[in-house]
Amino acid sequence: MSTERIPMTDQELWRSLAMDGRAVSDPISDNDLAAWLEGRLAPAAAARVDAVLASDPVQRAAAMELSEILAMPLPVAPVRLAVRAQALVGFEAERMPATRPGFFASWFATGRRQAVRAAAMGTAAAILAVSGFVMGGGLGESYAQQKQITVVSNTDTSNELTDLFSDGNVI
Amino acid sequence: MTELNEIDLRGLTAGNKRVWDQFVAAAAPLINAVVRRALAPYRLGEDDVMDAAQDVFVRLCASDFRLIKGYDPSRAGISTWLAVVARSAAIDHMRRRRQVADSIDDVPEAALAIEDRHVEKLKIPQGLLTDRQTLMLRLLYDEDRDVTEVAELLKIDAQTVRSTHHKALLRLREHFKIDST
Repeated sequence: MSTERIPMTDQELWRSLAMDGRAVSDPISDNDLAAWLEGRLAPAAAARVDAVLASDPVQRAAAMELSEILAMPLPVAPVRLAVRAQALVGFEAERMPATRPGFFASWFATGRRQAVRAAAMGTAAAILAVSGFVMGGGLGESYAQQKQITVVSNTDTSNELTDLFSDGNVI
Repeated sequence: MTELNEIDLRGLTAGNKRVWDQFVAAAAPLINAVVRRALAPYRLGEDDVMDAAQDVFVRLCASDFRLIKGYDPSRAGISTWLAVVARSAAIDHMRRRRQVADSIDDVPEAALAIEDRHVEKLKIPQGLLTDRQTLMLRLLYDEDRDVTEVAELLKIDAQTVRSTHHKALLRLREHFKIDST
């Protein structure tokens, strides 16, 4: 039996070996992974992340990918990405101060917003209606017009009756 | 433009519109780059990539900015933290989006790879190598990374990588009685 030991390159040696099968699948928190990527984790915590990455090729590839991106100059993002993202937060998202609101301030609280809107719309409708009425001459002119129509129609009727009887036509 | 590390985090988590807009402008290039890289194996269209990137921002402001409130500035810079969060969110978005039955062409090759088991391998006993040594050997040999890349990832200098690599292999050779070429 030959006892000659076959020399191996470092790569051949590693590839001829297998880990003992223990897999460390504990999830790494975002803060831990970020600290690990910056080399700022305490030794014990860093060793735990090392163990997870050593046993999990997917997480290992992810860490490598993040490291590469963080080291490179970034291309400009599409404009629509920023536009859509900025629209996610509106001015009303800003927190109201944590003090008791005043009488008028309470009307603008979230729960009263619908009532305020309805009142505003009703007021606007009323203003429009009044404006239209005034532009049309208002009540006084309307009455005067109505009276004139009545006088004219009465005069016409009277003339018709006079003509009727003057012609000697009696029905 | 305001840099990410200059963003007023308190104003941001209070929902200040101006601070949010500044944050988005500063973060968009990083989130865009991370999401594109994470989803590259899935060969998505531009609209789908944009949706995934938008989803990252949605998560950041959701539930009263809960994610951002969980960020600890004493542990890492916000760019690094944001990159980690963005990648996780992009992968989660992809998982939710995927159909139950996927075409095999849509699955990245890494997910399909299986270990070649027909060759019996010697088992490395637990404790023979440190986790750091194991990780380094995996990066150098399983991932085919070079010393510079490993040094950058582990935030150590290249000489430390070479030294750690050498010590690890010495331990393996001594344990398994295998000579070098």
